[in-house]
Amino acid sequence: MAFDLTVNGSVHSVDADPQTPLLWVIRDHVGLTGTKFSCGIGQCGACTVHVDGRATRSCSVPAATAIGKRVLTIEGVSADGSHPIQIAWKEFDTPQCGYCQSGMILSALALLQQRPNPSDADIDAQVTNICRCGTYHRVRQAIHLAARLMKG
Amino acid sequence: MSQRTDSGVEAAQTGGPNRREFLATVAAAHGAFVLGFWVPSRAEAQTPSGAAWYEEPATREVNAWIVISPDDTVTVRIAQTELGQGVWTSNAMMVCEELQCDWTKVRPQYASANRDAREMAPAWTLKVPGNGATDPKGGGEPTFGNRDRRGVAGIPDSLYRRMRTNAASSVKDGRYYLQLAGAEARERLLLAAAAQWKVPVAELTARDSVIRHAQSGRTTTYGQIAHLAAATPHPHPETITIKPPDQWTLMGTEQKNLDVPLKVTGRTVYGIDVRLPGMKWAAVRSCPVYGGDVKTYDFEAVRRLPGVRSVVQFPTPDPALTRGRIFSGGVAVIADTWHQARTAVDRMPIEWTIPPEHAAFNTANMREALLAALDRPGTVQANQGDVAAAFSRAARVVEATYSTPYLPRARMEPGNATVLVTADRVDIWIGDQSPQETRFSASKITGIPEQNVYLHLCHLGGGFGRNGNGPQAEQAIMIANALRGTPIHLLWSREEDFVGTTYRAMGVAHLKAALDADGWPIALDVRTAMQEGGFGPDASFNVTSRYHVPNYRYSNHTAKFHVPVGTRRGIGQAAHEFYRESFMDELAHAAGKDPYRYRRELIARTNLPYKNDMIKALDMAAEMSGWGTPLPNGTARAIALEERGAETNGMATISAMVHTVSLSREGKVRLQRVDVAHETGFGLINPLSVRKQLEGQIIWFYNDAMHQMNTIAEGRIVENNFNQFPISRMDEDPPEINIRFFPTEHWLIGMGHDRATSVQSAIGDAIFQITGKRFRDLPYGRHDLTWR
Repeated sequence: MAFDLTVNGSVHSVDADPQTPLLWVIRDHVGLTGTKFSCGIGQCGACTVHVDGRATRSCSVPAATAIGKRVLTIEGVSADGSHPIQIAWKEFDTPQCGYCQSGMILSALALLQQRPNPSDADIDAQVTNICRCGTYHRVRQAIHLAARLMKG
Repeated sequence: MSQRTDSGVEAAQTGGPNRREFLATVAAAHGAFVLGFWVPSRAEAQTPSGAAWYEEPATREVNAWIVISPDDTVTVRIAQTELGQGVWTSNAMMVCEELQCDWTKVRPQYASANRDAREMAPAWTLKVPGNGATDPKGGGEPTFGNRDRRGVAGIPDSLYRRMRTNAASSVKDGRYYLQLAGAEARERLLLAAAAQWKVPVAELTARDSVIRHAQSGRTTTYGQIAHLAAATPHPHPETITIKPPDQWTLMGTEQKNLDVPLKVTGRTVYGIDVRLPGMKWAAVRSCPVYGGDVKTYDFEAVRRLPGVRSVVQFPTPDPALTRGRIFSGGVAVIADTWHQARTAVDRMPIEWTIPPEHAAFNTANMREALLAALDRPGTVQANQGDVAAAFSRAARVVEATYSTPYLPRARMEPGNATVLVTADRVDIWIGDQSPQETRFSASKITGIPEQNVYLHLCHLGGGFGRNGNGPQAEQAIMIANALRGTPIHLLWSREEDFVGTTYRAMGVAHLKAALDADGWPIALDVRTAMQEGGFGPDASFNVTSRYHVPNYRYSNHTAKFHVPVGTRRGIGQAAHEFYRESFMDELAHAAGKDPYRYRRELIARTNLPYKNDMIKALDMAAEMSGWGTPLPNGTARAIALEERGAETNGMATISAMVHTVSLSREGKVRLQRVDVAHETGFGLINPLSVRKQLEGQIIWFYNDAMHQMNTIAEGRIVENNFNQFPISRMDEDPPEINIRFFPTEHWLIGMGHDRATSVQSAIGDAIFQITGKRFRDLPYGRHDLTWR
């Protein structure tokens, strides 16, 4: 069954079961592989995207829930790394293996859009993604820098 | 082969794409992937149409590590795998330091494991320059001698020598020949320019990819001269020397990692991201009890589900291909998408044949078996002085029993591999810490010679252990071999990843010390037990007690279990450091002495070659932390040394850490602050990556100390996803980490593991200081930590 999905501002016609997890529709049908699979049960956040601006663990929601809504993936944050959050991430050389970082950036971006001046406690409460390499120390610094950069 | 394709199922695609067409298609779809990391359009522009990435025009290849394009882009071939440790950048730095090229125009690329099967290493890379670990002008002490040659059968000195990424050794083993590779290329570029200008080579200088002849004012660039250099052999390559640290200009500086721009835009290609024309996905279930196999399965129950194509049963991978480990047999469902394949394999009825002796194992009886092993004669690894006599005159005896659980790597990217087998060739797309071994496996499984096996290496979404990839490559090769002509992308679910990984072995230890009237140890008896086959069952205890004791005995013991065990960010040392440093804290408290000064004195009493470096580390960490200054109620500091190799005068890595830990009355632990004093040795390659490794390992070992444990029930691993196997997040990362470096006079072993093991003992000692309760079984999180 075909349906339309709006990802990063483009409408994609998807020929898939709408109950397929949004993650796999993004990766296999839309063809954007920056969003990652890791636990498959919504625990780790590697699959985080925005659906209408809300951070969403795409492995655990059917694609159907995103029909008619705006989906943002890492590729839509900016392709050239020029978004302030990406600049901040690069400034601290934040990623190690990098596998969790797409989801980490999308979670942090959702936080910053809600709270332009997040406290450490806000970060702890809302950026609950798992990073196995342990980049948290730089993620925190990068979020604070991104907050400053996003205010221009 | 007992594997088979279910007959009557829609046949796999036959024929497959034409080879040249196929590679060209991949290049077009994934320019960044096939060519390493650079702007894809630029990378494509540099690749002649239809040419494979690993066979770039030889005219521009100066040597097997370095390709220079006319626009001065320098491609550096990296024989280790980037898994977050920064090797993609540090290896390139070592080459470019000597090449003296423009660092802003460097692009790393994976070295070809296929070429490694066909070419020998140049003779000039085979001799390590200098005089070992304490010679600043030399190449240190690479340990190629330990290389497992099964993976490179018949090619002991293959082109890229060690393609493994393990043992924190990428710098230790690779530095000398990567520096030599850069130097050899630089010298040949200079020779080529000298020949062209007909001037003595000694009159030329090279810097930032520009060659100058000062007398005539002439200049050229590496890009302009590379095709001539490629045809100019060095007359005496054995005379080439490498720069000592006092001449480094790039090495030793903090360099951001070259692949970070791709990692913040989602463009890094990991194994899971590989997409090929005609590719099908495989989802597998293997027997959850190791050593088990498939009895029956009912493909008919799922064959009509959407996208499902076929089923392949595969046997337990040959232990000769998995370093002796016995995993399980299983079944793969092949479908158009992975979600379809996984849905089907999860619904497919499967019955297992399970060895009853394996099903009888559980955590409780395995722990009992290890404790019982401690009481049987083990292998005595050290027996200095007269331990029994010293105990008979002890003023006080202190003893303790500790345990550490089974631990997986649980890297973020689940195991996966994409394999295409055709009549005469195997192609494998994989993130792999042991590509030479995978090449060997491919050859053994398919019967196709290693020289016809092509690995297209990808970044890894976490590694943490050379063999940590488990048997995903072998499974994928077996499946693709049954479906020749179709590229098969195998991907493990997280649950399957917990079955397919290897584990750090569960361990127990009993430590017993005799103290004199002043509280100093006069005898130490250490016994450790670990599953037979566990890695580093005697790590570091076998050489020395580290802290001075005149009478020392150490024995290690084993019990036979069925869990596949392997390396995990180190070997047995992480557990052994928990035992040793925890016990030192216990002795200091028993003696009524300060744990920092107690350690310091006992190091000072040794004859260990690097004892002054260890004292320096302890002093610096204590000073950084404000050791001895008052702390709020419910907060405590604990200190420990972390060293590898300091018991000999070879390479070593030495640091000390002070951990400031708070514990709420409700039992909530928080690592508030970590102060790290770390040696540089003769030089760190990229201090920024070192900092990142230290920060990451602090939270890694915090996880081990507080949360992580895999239990066994009826022979199976119980916790198999992150809801049952908790992993720390932002809210547990220490708010303050201070890292300072101090210089020392030897080469380092490496930074990849065992650099923050002290978190384990330190949290335990802080809990003891705050509550008076001592917990000796990790993780602490399963104990009642509340206090009043």
